[in-house]
Amino acid sequence: MENGNVIELKNIYKKFDLYVDKRQSFKEKFLFHPANNHTEVVVLDDISLSIKKGESVGLIGRNGCGKSTLLKLISRIMYPEKGTVAVEGRVSSLIELGAGFHPDMSGRENIFINASILGLSKKETEERMAQIIEFSELGDFIDNPIRTYSSGMYMRLAFAVAINVDADILLIDEILSVGDISFQKKCFEKLKEIKSRGTTIVIVSHSLGQIEKLCNKSYWIEGGKIICEGSPKAVHKRYLKYMNQDVEEVIKEEKEEEERIEGVTEEPKVEEPKSEEPKVEEPPKEDTEEVHEDVLIETEELRKNSKRWGSREVEITSVELLDDNGNAKGSFKTGENITIVMKYNAKKRIRNIVAGIGIFRADGVNCYGTNTLIDKLKGLTVYKNGEVICKVKNNLLEGNYLLDVALHEPSGYAYDYYREVCKFNVKDDLVEAGIIRLDHTWKY
Amino acid sequence: MKILKELYDYREMIFNLVKKELRGRYKGSVLGFLWTFINPLFQLIIYTIVFSYIMRSGIDKYYLFLFVALIPWIFFQTSLQGGAASIITQKSLVTKIYFPREVIPVSFVTSCFMNMLFCFVIIFIVVGLAGVKLSLLGLLCLPIVMLVEYLLALGFTMIASAVTVYFRDFEHILGIIVMAWMYLTPIIFALDIVPDAFMPIFKYNPLTYVIEAYRDILYAGGVPQMSELLYSFIVGVVVVVIGFIVFAKLKRHFAEEL
Repeated sequence: MENGNVIELKNIYKKFDLYVDKRQSFKEKFLFHPANNHTEVVVLDDISLSIKKGESVGLIGRNGCGKSTLLKLISRIMYPEKGTVAVEGRVSSLIELGAGFHPDMSGRENIFINASILGLSKKETEERMAQIIEFSELGDFIDNPIRTYSSGMYMRLAFAVAINVDADILLIDEILSVGDISFQKKCFEKLKEIKSRGTTIVIVSHSLGQIEKLCNKSYWIEGGKIICEGSPKAVHKRYLKYMNQDVEEVIKEEKEEEERIEGVTEEPKVEEPKSEEPKVEEPPKEDTEEVHEDVLIETEELRKNSKRWGSREVEITSVELLDDNGNAKGSFKTGENITIVMKYNAKKRIRNIVAGIGIFRADGVNCYGTNTLIDKLKGLTVYKNGEVICKVKNNLLEGNYLLDVALHEPSGYAYDYYREVCKFNVKDDLVEAGIIRLDHTWKY
Repeated sequence: MKILKELYDYREMIFNLVKKELRGRYKGSVLGFLWTFINPLFQLIIYTIVFSYIMRSGIDKYYLFLFVALIPWIFFQTSLQGGAASIITQKSLVTKIYFPREVIPVSFVTSCFMNMLFCFVIIFIVVGLAGVKLSLLGLLCLPIVMLVEYLLALGFTMIASAVTVYFRDFEHILGIIVMAWMYLTPIIFALDIVPDAFMPIFKYNPLTYVIEAYRDILYAGGVPQMSELLYSFIVGVVVVVIGFIVFAKLKRHFAEEL
């Protein structure tokens, strides 16, 4: 390992065999052997990174990009197909909290069990006991069996053990959301304290704010590759921008922007899609402001992205709302037509796909939902790029609305289910009440 | 070698898993831990009735002859059969946390071993009631015999547990193998009634000498044949080494297979 590095990954390549229907029994393994029903999915492709002692690093990227797998490789839960992983020092992972907790045993006994799974000896656990109990805020409850605990108490205890292991390297996967706000804050403060003691921290999180506060470096992973690394703020800016666009668009835009902005904050080192980026000393002032606003808006956009699931054999690449003149808009009048244009990309030809939409009011009321199956239409066949257009007469009344779109099988198996993909508002010249305008006539 | 040090570092976890296993096994049942004794006791009663009264074996104090062999065999059998599924049972730990995976089969076999030790309390009572005069030297050899059996159980269980993760049928196949194995070991009958044609199988079976050794000590009140036991010991060491190697190879993909 190079000087000062505590984690060193070299040319990591990791794939998973995804089985449509996994065969694990004798009959299946041997009798049906010739049938090859699995597809290989490359999760990490030639990733190299090194983390120095005392560094705090954030890993960002959308669901399924490989960041959690990377964490599992560092913690040695999994091993790469190619490449080497070298880790120095005791690793504690806050991936699974409360490992091995036994409901019938007391909190205290469970601390011993949990700590032993994290590799602590009895003596080491005893030394930390007071600290752990204090941190968990459980007080006298500590000697009650943990099946009597509330879920909050349970998580607090689990977190207290994991965070007091005094590891050299702490791996955290999306768990800073335990307990109530005051406990979260306490955890966060504790992490800062741990960091100041020189512990190396690696965090996977969707909360970019947390990473920005805690880390000095961010890696943005997409499609199993490190797209971008550098100071969290700069990386996140780029990442957020990407979230609503295609990669191609980002590249294009970056080329256009090359000579315009940049240098707003520390420039991230971009490895892909582009390898170099000239710097311009004087950024236009208004751009700076715009960027800030962008970040705010898009952070919200990002939160929504956790509301996306499906196999992604077909992927929804963009969704736009157009008016009758074909202009993309975010605001419509009651009675106006809205054209929803959903672009997709399919890696292979798939038949009989159902496309659906759902409209929700900002407070979560489901206003309308339909799909091509409900409308008794023939399923669509997708291959490569294409689009689905749904023209809606907007009968919604004034308010803010959210749109869900989905591509799935008639059975419900989701290819890409994208909740709250875009936001729009409706203005109404009249002052009607309710959610929707019903066709009506009066008679006296 | 590195793995041994790591296992030592995680000794606390092994200890806790053994404790949990012993406590958890009969959790919720009225008789609880007593089942550890009741089960083999009834097995003993049934075999004794069958082989003393129905298929008369003509062996003196058959119940004792059987008992001192049956309890060690049950240890071996439960280790192997239960141990095969042990990794799958601990799925949530394996997929979420790093620890040397060897901890799981090691603690499972150890918990079965502890169970056997508890049963030895009853064995000694029965031996006492039967009026067998135990030899002191023989008793000193007893831990050695147990160690040899532990090695054999551990080695085979390591292999079985790792293979079962990839190939779930192995657990059931193992059930058949273990059943056959029982009859290829002189447990319910004496070695001298085995026909010559079958003798080589018994001779190569390392458990034969382990069972014979238990009998030499507890049934005959003598000293075991150390030269024969040495063979079993060597096989045990070889199987453990192979077990750890196979396990180390297979454990890398546990998290994905589960």
